[in-house]
Amino acid sequence: MHYQMGNSGSYPLLLLLWLLPLAGAIVIWAFGPQLKRLAGALGSAVVGASFVATLLSWHDGTQSVAGAGANLVGAHQALVSWLPGFDFGLLLDPLSLLWVCIITGVGFLIHVYSIGYMYDDKAFARFFAFLNFFVFAMLTLVLSDNFVGLLVGWGLVGLASYFLIGFWFEKPSAVAAARKAFVINVAGDVGIMFAIFMIVASVHSIAFGDVFGNVGSLSTPWLLAICICLFIGAAAKSAQVPLHTWLPDAMEGPTPVSALIHAATMVTAGVYLVARCAPLWSQNADAQLLVGIIGGITALAGAILGCAQWDIKRILAYSTMSQIGYMIMGVGVGAYEGGVAHFFTHAFFKAQLFLGSGLIIHALANEQDVRRMGGLMKKLPFAFVAMLVGVLAICGIPGFSGSFSKDAVIYGTLQHGHPILYAIGILTAGLTAYYMFRLLFVTFFGSYRGDVDPSDLGIRHPELAGTAHAAHDDHHGEHHAPAWLMNVPVGILIVPSIFAGWLLFGGEHSPWAQFFAQQFPHPTLPTPAISELTTTLIVLACVAVGIGVAYARYATAAAQADAVERLRGESVRMPALLTNAFYFDAALDLLFVRTSQLFGTIFGRLIDPQIIDGAVRETAFSAQWLGTLVRSFQTGLVRAYAFVLVIGVACFLVYYAVISGGLH
Amino acid sequence: MLVLSLVLVPIVAGFVLLVLRNENPVMSRTVGALVAAFTFGAAIAAHGQEWSYRWLTRPFVASFHIGDTAISYWLVLLLAICTFCAILAASVPRQRAFVGQMLLLEGAMMGLFLARDLLLFALFWDLMLLPVFFVLLGWGEHVATAWRYFIYNFAGGLFLLLATAAFGALYGSTDVIGRSDVHLAGAWVPWIFWGFAVAFLVKTPVWPLHTWMPLTYSDTPSPMVAVVSAVQSKGGLYGFIAIGMAFMPEYVKAYAPILIVLGVISLLYGAFVAVTQNDAKRVVAYSSLSHLGLIVVALASLNATALQGALIYMIAHGLFSAALFLVLGFVESREETRSLVRLGGIGATNPRLAGALCIAALAALGLPGLAGFVGELIILTGIFQAGLTWAAILALIPIVLASAYMLRLFQGIMNGPQVPDLPVRRDLGWLEGLALAPLVLALVVLGVNPHALTTFDTGAYNAVATTLQGGTR
Amino acid sequence: MLPMSVPLIDYVALSSVIFFIGVAGVLVRRNPLIVLMSIELMFNAANLLFMAFARAWGNNAGHIFAFLVITVAAAEAAIGLAIVVTVFRTARHVDVDDVSLMKG
Repeated sequence: MHYQMGNSGSYPLLLLLWLLPLAGAIVIWAFGPQLKRLAGALGSAVVGASFVATLLSWHDGTQSVAGAGANLVGAHQALVSWLPGFDFGLLLDPLSLLWVCIITGVGFLIHVYSIGYMYDDKAFARFFAFLNFFVFAMLTLVLSDNFVGLLVGWGLVGLASYFLIGFWFEKPSAVAAARKAFVINVAGDVGIMFAIFMIVASVHSIAFGDVFGNVGSLSTPWLLAICICLFIGAAAKSAQVPLHTWLPDAMEGPTPVSALIHAATMVTAGVYLVARCAPLWSQNADAQLLVGIIGGITALAGAILGCAQWDIKRILAYSTMSQIGYMIMGVGVGAYEGGVAHFFTHAFFKAQLFLGSGLIIHALANEQDVRRMGGLMKKLPFAFVAMLVGVLAICGIPGFSGSFSKDAVIYGTLQHGHPILYAIGILTAGLTAYYMFRLLFVTFFGSYRGDVDPSDLGIRHPELAGTAHAAHDDHHGEHHAPAWLMNVPVGILIVPSIFAGWLLFGGEHSPWAQFFAQQFPHPTLPTPAISELTTTLIVLACVAVGIGVAYARYATAAAQADAVERLRGESVRMPALLTNAFYFDAALDLLFVRTSQLFGTIFGRLIDPQIIDGAVRETAFSAQWLGTLVRSFQTGLVRAYAFVLVIGVACFLVYYAVISGGLH
Repeated sequence: MLVLSLVLVPIVAGFVLLVLRNENPVMSRTVGALVAAFTFGAAIAAHGQEWSYRWLTRPFVASFHIGDTAISYWLVLLLAICTFCAILAASVPRQRAFVGQMLLLEGAMMGLFLARDLLLFALFWDLMLLPVFFVLLGWGEHVATAWRYFIYNFAGGLFLLLATAAFGALYGSTDVIGRSDVHLAGAWVPWIFWGFAVAFLVKTPVWPLHTWMPLTYSDTPSPMVAVVSAVQSKGGLYGFIAIGMAFMPEYVKAYAPILIVLGVISLLYGAFVAVTQNDAKRVVAYSSLSHLGLIVVALASLNATALQGALIYMIAHGLFSAALFLVLGFVESREETRSLVRLGGIGATNPRLAGALCIAALAALGLPGLAGFVGELIILTGIFQAGLTWAAILALIPIVLASAYMLRLFQGIMNGPQVPDLPVRRDLGWLEGLALAPLVLALVVLGVNPHALTTFDTGAYNAVATTLQGGTR
Repeated sequence: MLPMSVPLIDYVALSSVIFFIGVAGVLVRRNPLIVLMSIELMFNAANLLFMAFARAWGNNAGHIFAFLVITVAAAEAAIGLAIVVTVFRTARHVDVDDVSLMKG
């Protein structure tokens, strides 16, 4: 019954890399005012140390020892126990190792970047406390060896995300966005909770090992129900349709937060969950199909909506949603290595894109609307290079990291027998190329439009369109932080953005495949009709079309000459369906928010005071009425009393006379 | 004798404070806190002790018999902590008399949880209403609330007393709490069961007997309501376990569907109403209705896991609702309003106060890592195991709603732009921080490792669990 | 049963007549003195029955009860007259129907 994952033992380094960020968060939170600027250095150092500890734990995480039945891969450290069956521990195996590397590695770079980005913020220390707390929570999520521990991490990253989205809490829009993100994520948590109930009821344990070891004993509908409930959590966290509406709003947070939490790590937790539960999903084709379809829809929807955005961070947010759709589609259909690889490369290039956009936003005093940018290539050459590499990588230009992983996902869908998802993947790749190059051309080409009146660009509500943020005034001041603090992390990220994908080179013998050899199930698959090389070529053709359209619309000399007029025209003519993001927000609002408020109002304003208290009042009134009735007999007249007495006695007499038979 | 002092010391100290002439608020707060701290230490030291004095032999045996049981031990500790924190946080006019009433309340509730005799239990049940009633009369906002509180709960107490008398007449002794060999049977038992049940359902409260609660919770001064919502509401649940389940398990089982339906209605109803309330204390009051409804479902599901979760959640709810009411009291004393419409943006000037409210709200919405989550998860796992799938699914809705209304509460007070006409006051002081520290610490410790609460298996609790696992005897 | 010169049923009939005269007096008259006298009549009707049955059955308990009733009747008359005097002093006249202080 007790099935094990990882070699049990004592791994102090594992505990260290897990708890260091927590310690950092507590120290910075408690002593923030005293630490001042040191908070940033301390926060970064803690995450850096955690990254070093991760590298030192590499051997523990990849060790493979022959055990009972199967090889035990990775390291397992027992922690506390709540109840029999509720045992907690840490598990470091190749899958979690990969995530930990990204969380601490990319996390470290973003921490360093944040020192520069948040330099003038009055809540500098609080920012790093939250960021460190996020790293701890995310590590809890990926290192847990059981579903409840995963749920704990799941909830805590949601909390960290809440804090950081609502970091500028004087701003009502940020406050609302933070609450929305948290509530939708709790709805996801609830899905995982329900999966846990089913798991505990059937397996009597929450440990991954016990659950995966007993997967054969679960009936098919039961397994499907567990997978669906788990996926509700994954969909909420990873912004899958229809639970994605919080992600674009989450861009209210500072840009480094968007890079770390809402692009590189937290939003990929759903991918992690599905990949971690590969033994469950690979036993149930329906569950796989469902996840694959949702992933495909999300990839396509995100890409379409990405074409209709003007806020630079919202474009990236929708592209994140779309790319996570790819990952979910990949792990959903069973192409685990491909989906996870796309997480790996995406973490680098999307972090880079966000940090690059942060450079722009920072240089333009919090301007986020691309219509008010333009011609920034000369003004911000480094940001241009950074964004260019990111855009090339996300579009899947051969040689850049994104091409390897995206092709692996797209080809994987075909391999696992889903031609429609395959087509969606290719179409989305073309759309991705279009909107990313649109972003690049509008931002960096042509001439600067920041001094043009917003209404001439078709910006109807400047205060709502990511323009003219006045919430944190001190942020506008002269920038004092040394420029390298922001440029160096971006520069370092360029390297993996280009080369990370090369790990996948070599098919079954690639380092990547070797790394995950014992992690995922490897069913033998039929060779599809279209080869991998042909797929790559088709994708490239689509990408070329996308780039071509974007070039024709935004980068030709004619387009640049009357850019203001063209942008205004596009803004005005944008279909309402796209500006309202397919009305998902409105539908969720109507279905859940309004309904709850209606119930609450009915219960609180009508049932409580009118019906329940009304019933209580009625009881009191009845008692009063009864009293009044009885009171009327109390006349105070002696003769009346005597009369009643006589009548009463007479009644008794008659009664006894009748029952004794005296009268007939 | 030490166990006797748990009841007597707070009561005597309370009366002494009431008759004293010295109006020094620091003195009365110090005395109150010291007494509460003493009861905490004494409760640990007196764990397992008993003290008994025979009262009656006819018409049934009754004793002044006190001593903790496995469950009441934790509730006594919770009571001592909450009273300690509430007295430290108390800053009201006529402080001396108020602290005196707080100590009387503590003494009466100590008696309730330590009573090993049903008659004594019923006596303390009515006794613990009086301090709250007097505080509502003396410090509350509306006299009608005091009467509503008293009449509702005293009516419940009357049922309890009748049921106790019937129990004594039927069984011959009321000196039974904590014994595992007592079992009632016969035609009268359903009446006795419902007599107890009505009292417990009013006290908890459960829909539709709850309408005294939002008014009481919003009108009572915060330190007192912290103790009332944290501990007094557990009196009914404790009675349900220690009396209903221990002596009449078949009837709990027979009437479980009614209790489960009432519990599920409570937990949905409370959550939906809490979403729309604008009075901060009423949000918490209705959230209490929701959370305690979950415990009622857990108890009625007759599942050992759910019961274990219920115990954890009782303690957790005590801790976080006390913390919430205390923090809301701090906010109210500073800004002189509780309206979420009027409040806003005070987190910018009071970051420590915002942090305190945030932690309390997060514990209340069941954030993983804090004690509330452990209780919720284990309860729901147990409910699901017991086969009540629909109840488990419905019980998930309030979890989502809780995140909505608790964040609305927190953000409505602390976040957003600063409101110009609200006074800017000093941030959380060290004494107020000290008042919250034990509650927060306990929430974190129990949230990370509830081992102490989940592994004990002694005495009456064991008997209850065994009974339930076996279904009926 | 002892021999009796007058049959028992005659005593019962007489007693009933006296009793109902008393009842009628209480119900009809408004002068409290007359009412008190009517109550005395009912007592005495009861006493007559006690005596008759005591004699008939040779059981002296009836005599004892009759004495008890006479004593109680005397006490009752004393209290009743005292009330009548008090009412007279405050209201300057006495009528049973005018005294309704106990009206609820």
